[in-house]
Amino acid sequence: MSWLILALLVWLGGWALNIWLSRWDRLRAVRIAVPVIFGVTLLVVWEALVRGFGISPVILPAPSVVAQTFAASTDLLWIDFQQTVVKGALRGFTIGAIAAFVAAVLIDRSKFLTRGLLPIGNFVAALPIVGIAPIMVNWFGFDWQSKAAVVVVMVFFPILVNTVQGLNEASAMQRDLMRTYAANYWQTLFRLRLPAAMPFVFNGLKVATTLALIGAIVAEYFGSPTRGMGFRISTGVGSLSIDLVWAEIAVAAIAGTALYGIVAWIEKRVTFWHPSQRR
Amino acid sequence: MKIKATLAALSLTATSAWAADDVTLQLKWVTQAQFAGYYVALEKGFYDEEDLNVTIKPGGPDIAPTQVLAGGGADVTVEWMPAALAAREKGLPMVNIAQPFKSSGMMLTCRKDAGVETTADFPGKTLGVWFFGNEFPFLSWMSQLEIPTDGSEAGVEVLKQGFNVDPILNGQAACVSTMTYNEYWQVIDAGLTPEELTIFKYEDNGVATLEDGLYVLEENLEDPAFEDKMVRFVRASMKGWKYAEENPDEAAEIVLEYDETGAQTETHQKRMMGEVAKLTAGSNGALDPADYERTVASLLSGGSDPVISAAPTGAWTHQITDKALN
Repeated sequence: MSWLILALLVWLGGWALNIWLSRWDRLRAVRIAVPVIFGVTLLVVWEALVRGFGISPVILPAPSVVAQTFAASTDLLWIDFQQTVVKGALRGFTIGAIAAFVAAVLIDRSKFLTRGLLPIGNFVAALPIVGIAPIMVNWFGFDWQSKAAVVVVMVFFPILVNTVQGLNEASAMQRDLMRTYAANYWQTLFRLRLPAAMPFVFNGLKVATTLALIGAIVAEYFGSPTRGMGFRISTGVGSLSIDLVWAEIAVAAIAGTALYGIVAWIEKRVTFWHPSQRR
Repeated sequence: MKIKATLAALSLTATSAWAADDVTLQLKWVTQAQFAGYYVALEKGFYDEEDLNVTIKPGGPDIAPTQVLAGGGADVTVEWMPAALAAREKGLPMVNIAQPFKSSGMMLTCRKDAGVETTADFPGKTLGVWFFGNEFPFLSWMSQLEIPTDGSEAGVEVLKQGFNVDPILNGQAACVSTMTYNEYWQVIDAGLTPEELTIFKYEDNGVATLEDGLYVLEENLEDPAFEDKMVRFVRASMKGWKYAEENPDEAAEIVLEYDETGAQTETHQKRMMGEVAKLTAGSNGALDPADYERTVASLLSGGSDPVISAAPTGAWTHQITDKALN
């Protein structure tokens, strides 16, 4: 009972603190503190509820137990992280992003490809991951190659659509100006249209980071070597190592946030001129 | 038998005499002849005779029966003993109340052209293994053979096999895990002949572990009403199993009727029932302590990475079968 009261108090306390802090929302420190307080409150409430209700560890382990498991199995988590994120997701993401970018420029260049390739891109986007993953495992084997292939398929489309959209962003007036300067297609592309497209390209890249991670993890459900985050999550549930599963989920969350953050950071540097980046 | 049932019915309270008792059974896998006994008992009214209203929940690749039991989604579940014992060690007190399967149907099916004739040929090969709680018998077998499973030179490379036998067909693995009653026939149906295959039955290699037992949570057994419900459930289920053994074709057809996915074929199910009947033949439902000891010994000999670290206590009971079968 005392745990439940604690949960209630911490929740109300965190809430009150954040409301009070939000008066100074112009301060950088406060903008960081508010979500941190929210997150910590959530963890403490989770811990207190699990203890208060005596929830079985095979249903939902307490965050403290997850943290202990995390600390005790860092070697394992690191091996899994390398297998899934570094080999599967990042390689797939890179290949998919470059392929989508090149395809977008080609599609933009010719009417023929616009009518031929874009519908295929739409079709690929509609493919369910659970449908393509087993096929990719069959084609590319059980190791990271098949996971990268699934990621390529998953990230290709959002980047393609966004880039095609972005390439049409430069207005007719701006393009006419380039013509009066006697600029050829490539000069117009590199000096005007690609820079103008960057906010869109980055939008596609940001969506793709999360997709890449999901794709690499889920693809491991359909056959994998005995390492990888998806492998550990799917088999951990079966052997009731739920604490390890949550530790992997924590790694996935951190990795996903970090990837997204890196892309957002690059975007800030590249599209500094765009209204959305103004302070 | 009849008298007993009547007595049991009389001993019940007035309320439950009007309403049948609900029992939810969680299967380990999808609807197929592996669970024919339960479907037969349902279809033939053996559960009704015991005044039970039984709901059978099919399992699947993403359903861990142990977790369903822990979460209260089922009263009783069909599970393999290694997974149940591992769960018990993890803090989920599961108890075996009946053991309809006497023998293990698990085996490793290998291609001769991949160079596998005996267990000595394993090192350096790639083997497909099911996980999700089914990896335990394999891991304890490998540690008994003293073969590491880390993909090293002297060891074997382990693949997490999906829900099919593709790896052996397209040469990605030298061996795959199969059940005598299911996946083995998928390999045969895919075009490989029995002559092209080497089969390692876990039974023949002395590493067989008990499969498809009935498990409940320990705390529930202390409740007399629950215990009585389980006695009747086990009695009716075993009646269903024996009926299925004697009438395998009819049992397979009953299973097909209950298969809502429509994924199963008649040929495959009849064949499966024939094989499953061989596994259930030696059991009247009561667990043989010698089989249990053998399973535990096999799991404890896990070398560096044993499935369970200590011999469990109270992991099985004759409390239910003693009352159900006498």
